[in-house]
Order: sequence, then structure tokens, then C-alpha cells
Amino acid sequence: MRQKQRHPGRGAQQRRFALVGCLSLIGLSLGGCLGEMPTPMGGLDRQLEQAGSSQAPALAGRWLALIGGRGGRDQVLLVDVERALPVPLPGLNRPDAQPLSVAVSRDGNRLAVVRQLDGRTELVLYRRELMGLETIAMQPAGVPRRVSLRADGHELAVEVSRGGHWQIDLIDIP
Amino acid sequence: MLTAALGMTLVGCGSWSWGRRSAGPSGLGDGHRQDPALSGNGRVLASIVERGGRATVILQEQPSGRLLPLGPLQRQQPHRSPSLSWNGRYLAVLVQQGGRRLAVIEDRATGRLQRLPLPADLEPQRLSLAPDGRRLAIEVVRSGRSVVQMFDLGSLLEADLPGGLPATGGGWSGAGSTRDDEAASPAPR
Repeated sequence: MRQKQRHPGRGAQQRRFALVGCLSLIGLSLGGCLGEMPTPMGGLDRQLEQAGSSQAPALAGRWLALIGGRGGRDQVLLVDVERALPVPLPGLNRPDAQPLSVAVSRDGNRLAVVRQLDGRTELVLYRRELMGLETIAMQPAGVPRRVSLRADGHELAVEVSRGGHWQIDLIDIP
Repeated sequence: MLTAALGMTLVGCGSWSWGRRSAGPSGLGDGHRQDPALSGNGRVLASIVERGGRATVILQEQPSGRLLPLGPLQRQQPHRSPSLSWNGRYLAVLVQQGGRRLAVIEDRATGRLQRLPLPADLEPQRLSLAPDGRRLAIEVVRSGRSVVQMFDLGSLLEADLPGGLPATGGGWSGAGSTRDDEAASPAPR
């Protein structure tokens, strides 16, 4: 009997494999149910936290565009994710404008922004290299809300309300 | 300076001549289309429509408008805030499960659904997936305040890079066969 415990037979080995198999299956099942935790980017998160409230994120390449603010005044921010540093956007933000949605191209040069200004809602394209801002008119007329940009920045999709009906326009950008 | 001045001049020319088109009817629900998200290469458009009274994400090939199939996500409504990777291989979206809102990513190449659990005190509102699928930004509400949090997905997802094959949905034999030669070129800085 003692010898049998020291050198388990084939049946015992099979039972051990079966037990290990069952435990692995249970583990895999639980993993599938619960999901794996994504890895938080703590340093960047702390910076964003310090900047006040932040919302409406848009990622492309190394860039994170978002709407952030302190004291009720929101503005468009562009953050270099790899350096965890914001970059300046001269000529884009103004104190009397309320940004609602933002998207960025992969090279970080183009930002599409929906904002409220002077009682109306408009879609604008900002080119960082040129520090230039251009209004993109809705045709037919409509009220834009959310915007998405193709990674190269040469096409956008925008959600537009026309007569209470929500539609999506696709606009090519030279 | 000259470049900036030229830029400002060009900016004044207006956008009337830009190519425009409607994403067109989806043929589903009441016709409302919301929450657009283009894939990095622009060949897939995700949007939210009402289907059976529930917000449902649909995918359309561009420019044809052809509807593309969804995998396990089609049973996880209501959907909110879709976001696509470069070739449309990954679709990240918020879903409601019981009393909780949850971020999930469907791999359209393999049909696998990846759940991304967050701490219980964080309520996700919107998300954005980086085109290469390596990072995810989630707007969460914590203690009544909106904050964007960043996550590195490098250990969870294979990258979806320019030059990769389009995912057709419901599993794809070319899964993971992104072309490393094109992938190696860095984004312009």
C-alpha cells in the first residue's frame, strides 16, 4: 500500500490529469466571463485628473484629443500620449465657445470639432500646422453633434439633425 | 510665417466644394442614425440605429453602404459609442449588462468578444479605440465628475495596422496577418 502511494498507478495519473484539465477549463470559463483587465496608463491618467474634468476622448496615432476644463470653461485639448504632454492649439479655443465633440487625425495635424458659438452649433476643421480654422457648412442645413475623422484626416463622418431626424454625413476634406 | 499666412488665406475659401454624401439609410428601425465612427482607413462606418426599440450598432462598408455582419455583439444591446480600429477588425463599444455599462471589444476576425471590466465605481460614458488597437480611452464618471482614463491594450489585442486585411465579420481566416513591413513605418510626428 505504501509503495502504491509513492508510485501512483496509471489510473491515479489519469485522475490527476482530469482534475488539472477541469481546473483549467473552469479558469478559462471564468476568464471569458470576467474578461482580462486592461492596463491603466497611470502617469497619463494622473495628468488628465489634474487638468480638471475631461470628456469626449478621441485617439489616433500618438494623439489623444478631448474636451477638458476647469471651473465650467471647456476647451479642446490635444495630448501627446507617448510623452504625456499637452500641445498648444493656437487659434482654436475661445472663451465664448463650448466644444461638444472632437476628432483627431493620426498625425495630430487635423482636428474636427463640433462647438456651440453665438447660439448656433457648427463644425470646424483646425489644421495645426497652419494654425487655421475653417467652418464646414452643413448642406442641407442641419445641426451637427458628433464627429469622427478618418485616420489620414481627409474624410469625416458627422451626425447631423435635420428636422428632428438624425442622419450621418460623410465629407471629403482636401 | 508664410505657410501660416497661406493657410489662413486658403481657409477663407470655404468648404462648399468638398465632396459630400449621406451615409444613406440603413434599412433598419426608424431611420435615425447616430454616433458615427469611421475605421482608420475609412472603409467601414459604424453607427447606432434603433432596432426593436434598442440602440444597436451597425457596420457598413464604404462607399457601397453594404451592411457587414456582427458576431456576438449583436446580442448585447443597447450599444453606445462605437469605435473602430484601422481595418475595422476591432469594434469597441459600450454595452449594458444588467445594471452595469461595460466596455467590450469584438474581434471581427476571430468572432471573439473581449470584455474590459472596470472598477465598480466607474461608469463608462464614451470610448475611443486607437486605430492600431493598442490603446483605449474611456470617459468615466466618478463621484459625479467626468474623467478620461487611458488603457494599454498591448497585452490583450494583436495590432490592427495599415495594410492589414479587412475583417469580413464572423471569423476570418486571415486573422492576424497584418503586414509588418507597412506596420513598421511610424506615424508622422
